[in-house]
Amino acid sequence: MSTNNIEILLVEDNPNDVELTLYTLQKHHLANRIHVVRDGAEALDFLFCRGAFESRNPNHSPKVILLDLKLPKVDGLEVLRQIRRDERMRLLPVVIMTSSREERDVVESYKLGINSYIVKPVDFDQFSEAVRQIGCYWLLLNQPPIF
Amino acid sequence: MRIARDGILLYINEVGLSLLQEWHLQCGQTVPPALRDIVTQTMNEGVARTYDLKHRDRDYGFSVAPILEAGYANLYCHDITDRKRAEEEIRTLNAELEQRVRVRTAELLAANKELEAFSYSVSHDLRAPLRAVDGFSHILLDEQGTQLPPETQRYLSLIRSSTLQMGRLVDDLLAFSQLSRQAMIKDQVQPAALVREAWDLLRSEQDGRHVKLTVGDLPSCQGDRALLKQVFVNLLSNALKFSRKRDPAIIEFGCNCKDGENIFFVRDNGVGFDMRYADKLFGVFQRLHRSEDYEGTGVGLAIVERIVHRHGGRVWAEAEPDKGATFFFTLGEKIS
Repeated sequence: MSTNNIEILLVEDNPNDVELTLYTLQKHHLANRIHVVRDGAEALDFLFCRGAFESRNPNHSPKVILLDLKLPKVDGLEVLRQIRRDERMRLLPVVIMTSSREERDVVESYKLGINSYIVKPVDFDQFSEAVRQIGCYWLLLNQPPIF
Repeated sequence: MRIARDGILLYINEVGLSLLQEWHLQCGQTVPPALRDIVTQTMNEGVARTYDLKHRDRDYGFSVAPILEAGYANLYCHDITDRKRAEEEIRTLNAELEQRVRVRTAELLAANKELEAFSYSVSHDLRAPLRAVDGFSHILLDEQGTQLPPETQRYLSLIRSSTLQMGRLVDDLLAFSQLSRQAMIKDQVQPAALVREAWDLLRSEQDGRHVKLTVGDLPSCQGDRALLKQVFVNLLSNALKFSRKRDPAIIEFGCNCKDGENIFFVRDNGVGFDMRYADKLFGVFQRLHRSEDYEGTGVGLAIVERIVHRHGGRVWAEAEPDKGATFFFTLGEKIS
C-alpha cells in the first residue's frame, strides 16, 4: 500500500495492541488506509518523510494520528512536540491512546495541543468501542484543518 | 564597680576583682578599651542596658547603669561562660539537626520519585498484557464461539472475568498509592452537599432496587473536598453493596457530637460482619466476604482510612452478622 494516501497513522509499540486495534477497525471497515509504526523515531520519519519514508509525498498527511505515549527511542510526548513545532503539521489531529491515567501525562499532552486523550480500557468490549468511535469520528465525521 | 565617663576605674569590690582578675583592673587607671566603650555608649544613651563581652576564653555579662549627673556608671558583672557554651552547643546541634533533616528529606524525595516511576510503570505495563488476554479471549469467543464445546466457552469466560478483576485491582492499587502523593487542599466543607454528590455518582448501584437514604444534620467541617467525597462514595457504595438483599435497603448518614468531637457515621441494614474480623477491615486487599457473594477488590476501606488519617481523624466500625454495619469517622476537629 502506498504511504501517500494514509488516513490513520497508528504509533504503537505493543504488537498485541496493534492487532486488537486493527481487528476492531477492520471489523468496522475503517482500516483500509492505516499505517502502523512501532516507535517514535519511525513515526517522525514517516511524518517528516525521512529515512524509509523519503519518497512519501509530504503534502499527504493522515487525517488523524493515534499516538501511544510510552514508545521506544522517542516517546510520544516528544513526537507530539516535534509535530506541533512544524508549520505544516502543527494542526494535524492527534489522539493520544495510552494505558496511562497519570494526571501529568494528561496535562502535558493537552498543553502540547492534542485533540483527544483516551485511556485504553482493559475490557475488550470497552476497548473496541473506543477504537470504533475514534475511527468513525476522525475519518467520517470530522472535517480536518488542512489538505 | 564604678567607671567614670572618661574610662577611669573609680571603684571595684572584692567580687569584681576576683571575677575580672585577668583584666588587671586598678582603681584610678583607665580600663581596657572594650569596657570603656560600653561605658561611653551607655552614658551617651542615658539608659541602663546589658552587654556581653569576651575576654580570652571567658564570657562576661555586664549590666551598665549610667548615673549621668555624677558623670559615672555603675557596672555589675557575671561570668556567663557556661551559659554561652550551652547556647553555642544548642546552635551546633540545631545546625546538625537541620542538616540531617535536609539529607533525610532528599532521601525521601528520591524514594518518592522512585515510587512514582514504579506506579507509572505499573499503570502502563501491567494493563497492556491484561488487555491482550481479555481481547484475544473475546475474539476467540466471537469467531469460534459456536464451534467450541460449552466447557471451553466457560473457561474463556472465566479467563475474561479474572482479567477484568485483575484490571480493577491494578486500578485500585494505583488510586491507593496516588493518595499519599496527592496534595491536600483543606477548605470549609458542607458534608450534606457532598453526600448528595456521592449518592448521585452511585445511581447505577441503586437501579431496580428499593433504597432509602436518610441524611441527618451534618455540621460543616474542615477538609479536602475531593478526598472527603471519595470517603463518602466508598462508604455509601459499601452500604449499598452489602444491603443489596434487603427490601428496602435503609442507609443513614448522620453525625453525633461526643466529647467535643463530631463523629460522622454511615449505617446500613445489610449483611454486616463478624466483629472478630474487624481489625482486618481497613487493610489493603482484605475482604470479609467471598467474591462470589459480594464483588470488590478490598481497597475501598483502605482508601477511606488513609484519607481520614491524613485529616487527623479516626475511623472504625461496629457490626453484627445479618444486622447491618455502621462505619464511624472523625476528621480530627475539636469543637469548642
